[in-house]
Parts: sequence; structure tokens; C-alpha cells
Amino acid sequence: MEQIQKTDVIVTESVMKVYDADGIPVNALNGVDLTIQSGEFTAIVGPSGSGKTTFLNIISGLDAPTEGKVWLSGKVLSEMGGNELSDFRRDNIGFIFQAYNLIPVLTVEENVEYIMLLAGVPKTERHDRVVAMLETVGLKDVEDRLPTQLSGGQQQRVAIARAMVSEPAIILADEPTANLDSKTGADLLEMMRRLNDETGMTFIFSTHDPMVMESAKRLITLRDGKVDTDETK
Amino acid sequence: MFLILIKLAWRNILRNKRRTIIASIAISIGLAALIFGDAFMIGMMDNLIKTATDSFIGDAQIHRQEFRDTREVSMTIQELDEVGANLAKEANVRYFTRRTFSTGMIASSANRSAINLIGVQPSTEKFLSQIDDAITEGVFFQKTNEHDIVIGSKLAEILEVELGDKAVVTVVQAKSGDYFQDWFRVSGIYYFADAAMNSGMAFVRLKKAQQMLAIGNNVHEIAIKFTSTEYGQDKQVPFWETYSQHGNEALSWTEILPQLPKVFAMSEYSKYIMGIVLFGVVIFGIINTLFMSLYERMFEFGVLRAVGTRSFGMARIILFEAGALAIVSIILGAILGFVLTTIFANVGIDYTGNEMMGVTVQEFIYPVLTIEQFTVYPLAVFIFTIIAGLYPAWHVAKMSPVDAMRRSF
Repeated sequence: MEQIQKTDVIVTESVMKVYDADGIPVNALNGVDLTIQSGEFTAIVGPSGSGKTTFLNIISGLDAPTEGKVWLSGKVLSEMGGNELSDFRRDNIGFIFQAYNLIPVLTVEENVEYIMLLAGVPKTERHDRVVAMLETVGLKDVEDRLPTQLSGGQQQRVAIARAMVSEPAIILADEPTANLDSKTGADLLEMMRRLNDETGMTFIFSTHDPMVMESAKRLITLRDGKVDTDETK
Repeated sequence: MFLILIKLAWRNILRNKRRTIIASIAISIGLAALIFGDAFMIGMMDNLIKTATDSFIGDAQIHRQEFRDTREVSMTIQELDEVGANLAKEANVRYFTRRTFSTGMIASSANRSAINLIGVQPSTEKFLSQIDDAITEGVFFQKTNEHDIVIGSKLAEILEVELGDKAVVTVVQAKSGDYFQDWFRVSGIYYFADAAMNSGMAFVRLKKAQQMLAIGNNVHEIAIKFTSTEYGQDKQVPFWETYSQHGNEALSWTEILPQLPKVFAMSEYSKYIMGIVLFGVVIFGIINTLFMSLYERMFEFGVLRAVGTRSFGMARIILFEAGALAIVSIILGAILGFVLTTIFANVGIDYTGNEMMGVTVQEFIYPVLTIEQFTVYPLAVFIFTIIAGLYPAWHVAKMSPVDAMRRSF
């Protein structure tokens, strides 16, 4: 893979994924070849069952392909062991989930600092970065609150802060606006776009939201487990 | 990292308070039962030892070798004066008393009965046995009337005698084997919970017994009370060898009543078995609680795994929760065990009259609290709970994030 350029953060080569659904093989991905470069703001779209979820699971190392290879920041995911993969995800990927999925028993500050705790970042640095990150996402003075004491939009901001605080190379976002009203969704999307411009982090969305598609710099459409269209705006 | 795990564990077990309370109560009842069971066992053992040693046997006894097997009247203690003089000088001997033993027949105008006739020295006997304390009518030898006899209430009932009534005792004399008869007046009647002592024993003055048995100044037994009961259980002390000479044998109460220490040892095992069974049941409750909690938070675990928590880290979260559950339960169980045991340690448990291990319980059993009950058992509960947490922890550790989240994206 000498041809991988430094800016290629994700490269997939003939990625296939076959699931066993009660003895019946289901092809979720049918040979996906894609290259995503650093700093992209990419939306992956497609109808239900098109393979969006499976694709994001595989490029994040949460699931393994049946065939093919995935390079993430120059490393082959399938060649990593369990702990190595966990550490790699911790250091290189930020996750934003549709339902926020913050840890309900931890405060906002604890939720955001959790990944840094895993990485062994010193306490003072952790605190400073959490405060700065919360300020960046527009959530000052809420660090001591529990997620249940926040609105949906605020929770998603915390999730964004959690995903970005360790400065990963890639942010993977699963329908991040799906549970939000359009105004809050638009605000968050604008914020992520701004952060993408400012930090150069790569954002990859799985979405049905036209607003996200509109905002994306690159739009990849999956259909029947294959790349149907790939447009860069 | 440790702090966040403790926070996670603590707050997670408080998430479903009702479930945590139920699980904690189950564990704490188990711990309280262990504490109380142990305290009761100690109380019962103390009671049985006290009953066995205080009521008549003493902490140790000296006899002529083989006397206990043959009960031969002529087998009296050898070198009695030397033995007595030495015992008087022993620092660990608090009291000792001399006794004679013989079988015989007691007859009243109404009835007759076989008895063990025991010759005692009233002045020292009262320190070695509880016969004087058990007197319900009359006195335990007063003045110097050599025809006084003290009998049990059941024997008085059989003979249909009361205080002051006459009874005739027949024994077989040493060496000659001749019958010897003498008359006595009932001067005291005692009551013991032990039926055999109540119906089959009669006490007369030592001098009178020696005269009847024709054994001169000799005796069959010296019963000894040490300064501490533990001394009587220590077979390493030189006492036993010193007094097992001249054809005599010195025996501790553990040898006189060998069934007691054996049953005590067995009851130790039964305590452990009870503990294992108890916690075997509780352990499944803990596993169930942890799994219920785990399945409720499956997506959460998937997220933690996805964001980079290692397998061991995932397992640690569950183990810390098990630990938090254990600590809550231990506090509850220790309080419950303490309160329960303290109540019964004051009120006592009435087992009087029941025979256990060949000893009839004379007094209430008072459970005894010890430091071990609040250190060793809670530690065991903690370890058991952590062991119970291993399976759910292993389950979480090997869980794939995709499976946990079902639909992660």
C-alpha cells in the first residue's frame, strides 16, 4: 500500500461482510473500495439495509470484514489484537451516537474526560481540556450536571465534546441529528462543520437527514452493499 | 482510573435501588446467619465445656491406671500423699478434691435402686462441682454428721424419701468382696438437668465412704480445677507427665469426654459447610442481579467498549460493582448479625435439659461475639461476591461492541 498518501485516513479494499441470519447468509457489503482523506466532512447515505451501519462498524474496527482490508491511519485493522484495537479506537476515533449514549451515572465532566482517563492523561490536563472542549461546544458551567439534567441538544453537544476531546483523527457520527429538532440539529451541524474547518478532523456521518447531506462536502451513497455514487462538492 | 471505576460502580448499584436492596438483604442475611451461627456455636461450646467441667468432672482428673475401665474398688490412686502435696504446690492448680467411687444399692422403706456412691470432701467439692449449687432441699453436708447422704430429686422420688428420711446403702468392699451396709439420713436433695445425675448418684462424706469400702485413706479420683480451662486442653504442659507416674494417670477433660472436642471439630466443619451452602445459594442471586443490571445496560457497555475500554477494563467495571454490592451488604449484614447476636447474648437461648454430645445443658446458651466474626466472615463474603462477579465480568469482557450495541450505527 505504498500508494496510500499521508492524507488518506481510511482506505477500504474489496470489503465484504456476510452475516448469518438464522442460517441464511446475508451480504451486507459486497466489495466496497473507498478512500477517505483527512479533513473530509463526508456523509454516507442510502436506504435502510444498504450497508451504512455495517460499513461504519467495519471502518471503526468494531466489526471485522468477511473479506477485504481496512487501513485506518495507515494501519490494517484486522491485524490488530483486542487491546491494541481498543487503544487504537480510543486514540484515533471519536464516536457520536444517535441517542447520545452518554454514561448516565457520570457527570458531564466525567463523561467527557472518560476517554482521557483511559489514555492516562494527567488530571490537570484532563480538566483543562474538558473545560475548553465544553466551551467549544457551547456548554459552559454544566460540567457537574448529569446527562439526564440536560436537553437532547445539550446531551448531543456533550457527546460531541466526548468524541473530540482526545483529538482523534476521525469522528464517526451515527445519525447525530435524528433525535433533535431541526433548529438544534442545524446548530449542531454548523458547529461540527466549523470544528471540521478549524481542527481538520475527519467527520464521517451515516445519515438520512437532508440537512446533513446538504452540509457534507462529500456524499457517498451505498446501495445493496456497494458504492452507488460518490460525489464531492 | 480507579476513582472513576469506584464512582461508576457505586452509582450504578444505586441506579436500581430496589434490586440492590433485595440483593443486599439476601447477602446480608447470609452474613448475619454466619455471624450468629458462629456466635451460637462458641456459646454452645463454652456452655458444654463449662457444664462438663464445672458440674462434676473438673478440668482434669487423676486416677489409678485402668480404674476408669474396670471401676475396681481396690484400684486407688498410688502415692496419694505425695500426689496431694505436689498438687497443693502447683501454680496452675486452683482447687482439687478427692473422691471415692463405687457402685451400690440404696434402699428405703418403700423402694430400692442401684446407685453410684461417691465419697466427697464437702469443703473442697463445692469448688469442683455444682452439687452444692443444685441443692433444692436441705443442705450439701453441714456439721459433721457422718450419716448424711445427698441424693438427686429423681432418686428421692424413686425411693419415696424426703429430707431426714432414712436409707440403707449396700456396697462391696475392696479386696474381701464382702457386702457392707450402713444407714444414712437424707440431708440434701439436688436437681440437675442431667437425668443420670438426678437418679443414679448419691454423695456421702469421704471418710464414711472409705470406711465402707475398706480402702483406708485412699481415694479413686482427684478432680482438679486449673486457673484457666485452656491449661486443661494443653497436652504439652508437663503437668500430665508429672502426675502420670506410680501407675497413676492424669487426664484432661478432653480425654475424659473425648466426644466433646471431636464434635467441636466436626461442628467447625459443619459451620464451613453451612457457610458454603448459604453462599452457594446467595452467589447465584448475585450473578442474577449483576446479569440483570448488565443486560439493562448492554448498549452502555457497547459504548464503553467502542470508545476504547479494554476487555479487562470492562471486567473491572463489573467486579467493582460486585465489590460495591458486597460492601453495602457487609455493612448491613454486620449490623444485622451484631444486633441479633447481642440480643441473644443478653437474653440467652434455652437449651437446658437437652443432652448434646453426652453433656446435658444446665444453663442458657449465650452466643459469643468475636472479632473474627466481623473480619474473617465479611472478608469471605467480599471474596465470595467478587467470585460471583467473575462470570458476568468475563461475559462483559468478551462481549463484542457491535453485539452489545446491536445497532451501533
